[in-house]
Amino acid sequence: MDFNDETVFEKEVVLNILKEVTEETLHDQTYNQGKVGQWISDICERSNKKLVALGKPFKYIVSCVIMQKNGAGMHTCSSCFWDNANDGSASYKSPQDWPLNVVTTCFALAI
Amino acid sequence: MSDGKTYAIQPQFHKKFKPMQVKEIIQKCLDEKLTDKKYHVDKASKFTRELADTIKQELKDLNWDRYKYVVQVVIGEQRGEGVKMGSRCFWDEETDNQAFATFSNDSLFATAVAYGVYLY
Repeated sequence: MDFNDETVFEKEVVLNILKEVTEETLHDQTYNQGKVGQWISDICERSNKKLVALGKPFKYIVSCVIMQKNGAGMHTCSSCFWDNANDGSASYKSPQDWPLNVVTTCFALAI
Repeated sequence: MSDGKTYAIQPQFHKKFKPMQVKEIIQKCLDEKLTDKKYHVDKASKFTRELADTIKQELKDLNWDRYKYVVQVVIGEQRGEGVKMGSRCFWDEETDNQAFATFSNDSLFATAVAYGVYLY
């Protein structure tokens, strides 16, 4: 496969996109059962749009988990079988002082 | 995974990512690993990692050519609170797919998603 500089996965850029979109959608919101589905759709779709706008030859998977803050614990883990040189992932976790727990993850797989 | 140039833009039908089959595999892994287990901070961390690796290994054992796999596992304490998880993917609908399964008992809940992406 011929790869040039354009196909390198840039973790900081992707992390920034996830951070911006998550914060725009959810800043100062508390958990609302009715709206949470809509928030997840918004975050995932807007992140996807911005990632695709980067113009790189990648397929993207964006996943988002939103959880109410009630003192319960949660663990997330991912295991990937791919080409380490060209593929990558980035994960954004909401800050501690937010009223919600959010984890947004993006996986980018090179074409 | 052989990286030779085969110029195949689609997998053969019998080697295509089959969501129902993968869903059963994931459900079986979750049930085997988590039945009768209680949520505990350190153990949950270990379970997520082991589950993700187990599911990935089972997918590799299916021997589907040129597929890349991403497996994501979420385990949380069961306290009756609200959780929602969703994902959006930008890929080729004809070759790529995903499967998920959930498990819950009195003390914990777990969700595992597996994505299969074809390498042209």
